[in-house]
Amino acid sequence: MSFFFVEPDIYKKYKDQVLSMSQSIQVNYQEHLAPEKRKPGYTDQQIADELGLDVRTVTEIRCVGEREYYDVDEWEKAQEFKKQQCRAFAERGISSATKKYLERKKAAKKNN
Amino acid sequence: MNDAEISSLQAYKEELIVEAKRGGALVAGVADANAFTMAPEGHRPTDLLPDAKAVFVVGGAQPRAADWRSPNHQHMETSSTSDRVSALALKLANHVERKFGYYALLNPPGVDRGRNPFVSLSLAAELAGCGSRSLAGPVLNDEYGFMYYSAIITTLPLPVDGPITKAVCPAPECIEMWEEEDTTPCLSVCPISDDGCLDGKLEGDEIAESRFDRARCTIRTQGNWVPGFQKALTVALDEPDPERRKMILGSTMFTRTLWSMTYANVSQAQCFECMRVCPVGAQHRQLI
Repeated sequence: MSFFFVEPDIYKKYKDQVLSMSQSIQVNYQEHLAPEKRKPGYTDQQIADELGLDVRTVTEIRCVGEREYYDVDEWEKAQEFKKQQCRAFAERGISSATKKYLERKKAAKKNN
Repeated sequence: MNDAEISSLQAYKEELIVEAKRGGALVAGVADANAFTMAPEGHRPTDLLPDAKAVFVVGGAQPRAADWRSPNHQHMETSSTSDRVSALALKLANHVERKFGYYALLNPPGVDRGRNPFVSLSLAAELAGCGSRSLAGPVLNDEYGFMYYSAIITTLPLPVDGPITKAVCPAPECIEMWEEEDTTPCLSVCPISDDGCLDGKLEGDEIAESRFDRARCTIRTQGNWVPGFQKALTVALDEPDPERRKMILGSTMFTRTLWSMTYANVSQAQCFECMRVCPVGAQHRQLI
């Protein structure tokens, strides 16, 4: 008795194709884009049809592949990134990324 | 449908909005349950509740100004308020079933077995006119900016609001910034070109292209949650030295992840950096 999982050789064979077709890195994926520009990626069923696999195998490959995509080092980098950004905001109120634009807007409002 | 029926449906809607606002919602709107055609099959309202007619969306429960101001990013990681808006939606679902006599289903806030939303809350919020999708991803309301959403799917044929006609993103400040620097606030803090999650392009006052590294964003937003647990456990299981394995399992990364997983039954947002610098709704993130 076991639960369903994909054998490593099947995973390795199809991982790159599945991740690419599912748009794990989403390029022009979002719904707000114009229909001619939107590339929503394939559903697991569509990938399964294309690669001749069953849908559950595709779902498993995608889920494991997305998790494996970045090495564990990326977790450390994420912590550092958030720490720096959060502190910068605490020090300067609204981030320096937007501050001058917001001030310009305020000044324009005042002048009108 | 006769005039009396239309008027009673409008009255139901108004009553729900009053209840939603009383419960803390900042915005509420109704989407047509059959308008989710751009969602994949299996992830539309009628896939969860056959004969669904409408999707009632509520938004709110934003982090408060003080949450944004704290210099310790771990504070916002642990004080996610998204559960509050889900609880409110569940209360409204009860209201629809008990008082109006129609089926009402809470769209679960988590994800299914394939890590996809049951029905996309972002799409629901857009189709209900609560806001529009931003370059960074989240749906932005024109007044409040980033907020959490929840939705109930119902057989009650509520009058539909439909999507807003003018996109909230990009904000005028972002258009100005793009014209001068070829970037926007969100793109500048988390650019794909510098190990971040976002990239995109504006043309005039519209988003022309977008690029989103979902895998990296998952590490930032759910780093100390299920993804972090799976990653750390793999490292621990691969470690042959029992002493080193003990250090891994007792590490701050592993411990913090276990704490986070026990806080909530749904994913907690653990990164807010693109939204922290977003001009939309910035007035609600600072008191002065």
